[in-house]
Amino acid sequence: MENLSFEESLEKLEEIVNKLENGDVPLDDAIEEFKKAMDLVKICNDKLNDAEESIAKIVKDNGEIVEFNSSQ
Amino acid sequence: MEDKTFTVSEINKYINRILKGDPNLKNIQIKGEISNYKTFPSGHSYFTLKDETSQIPAVFFKFNKDRFLDFEPENGMKVIIKGKIEVYENDGKYQLYVTKIQKDGIGDLFARFEQLKKDLDKEGLFKDTHKKEIPKYPQRIGVVTAQTGAAIRDIITTIKRRYPICEILVFSTLVQGSQAAPQIVRQIKHAQEFNIDTLIVGRGGGSIEDLWPFNEEIVAREIYACKIPVISAVGHEIDFTIADFVADKRAATPTAAAELAVPSIQEVKNNVDQLSNRINKSIEDKLLENKTKLEYISQKNVLKNPETIYEIKGMRLDSLISRLDFSSKNIISQNRTRLFKLENSIVLKKPEEIIKAKREAYLKNFNKLEVLNPLLTLKRGYTMAKSGDKVISSAKDVKVGDEIDIEFNDGTVNTRVI
Repeated sequence: MENLSFEESLEKLEEIVNKLENGDVPLDDAIEEFKKAMDLVKICNDKLNDAEESIAKIVKDNGEIVEFNSSQ
Repeated sequence: MEDKTFTVSEINKYINRILKGDPNLKNIQIKGEISNYKTFPSGHSYFTLKDETSQIPAVFFKFNKDRFLDFEPENGMKVIIKGKIEVYENDGKYQLYVTKIQKDGIGDLFARFEQLKKDLDKEGLFKDTHKKEIPKYPQRIGVVTAQTGAAIRDIITTIKRRYPICEILVFSTLVQGSQAAPQIVRQIKHAQEFNIDTLIVGRGGGSIEDLWPFNEEIVAREIYACKIPVISAVGHEIDFTIADFVADKRAATPTAAAELAVPSIQEVKNNVDQLSNRINKSIEDKLLENKTKLEYISQKNVLKNPETIYEIKGMRLDSLISRLDFSSKNIISQNRTRLFKLENSIVLKKPEEIIKAKREAYLKNFNKLEVLNPLLTLKRGYTMAKSGDKVISSAKDVKVGDEIDIEFNDGTVNTRVI
């Protein structure tokens, strides 16, 4: 589950929420799904709170990637 | 003056003075087509301006180029030139000293634009079915634009503000002039090697000539062929280019392109929070529902007083026993009644009465018999004639001389018929 992209995690989370809200899920299964959902919430939040600020980089013609500096 | 002999320099200078004295030639506007365009190491450019039948040499000094030129002149280009005409005395030729070059034939550009748009549309390059969806949560955005200028700054600022967890890769290219289109094409190809989610291709606003590279067919075809979803962002709201039609999504400005490319992280966080709340609520509901159910069930008598199970079973057993009891008793009592009846029957209980009754009946019958007894008749004085044992009931049955017995009540007399 850790390998899911943010979008996949979010989609999976939505799917579980809808299932639990609409479906007639037996309690044991519901608890199982709930645990999964909480893991997904954590994965999503971790990704959203990724402290590293996005960095703009410039790709040179030779494929080398360097930090982008607009004054260049 | 007829005898005066001029040097070459003098005559050229003289002619030049005449030309310079003509106000029309001082500030003149000429249209024509550029040919033999050459730039020297000095930075000055030389070319010939011509029409179908005539031509004039032209020089464009670096000083003026730096100030007024916003595109790269090319051979065959139709232009309108502002400048003056003077003599270049060294060569003895008059020439056009250019101060400003403007592209002519903007009408032609529109015609080309419309034609290309029509052709590509017919070919199906603008079809909605071919448009790719823009990823909702990109991790890496590519931008093909000039690395200097407002467009890239606006895009980076907007993405960092809205969705700072996304990486931006810039693929720098010229965005105007004749070299721009091939560079844009090369950078779109290049960008596809970098695992990019969405590609923004564009530039800031400008004249139709400035935006022209984004109307070039090669750029349109490269955007169409691009494996990554492309957002076009060329110029301002009102500018539409071929790139806009062929891109998967058109943004009015570079800033708008950035807004289309990434979600607002705050909205996404709210969404995750909401989902988290919903899942918590639904599991709480589920637990409560089950708890209520459990309580309801545990309130049931059977679980509260498990012995009632036995009670109920016991009651049923009792009922069965009592039914069994009843029916067996019934059978017994029926039989007993029958037996009782038999026991109490007269035959068994008072046989003498039956005998008596029988005897009475017998006597009754007997008396009846006695009435018929001939002996009783004899008693009343009658006699009975017999022959042997046979009673003689008719006179014809005897003949004279027959010995007969006459029976009386109290004895028999043997006699003979005479």
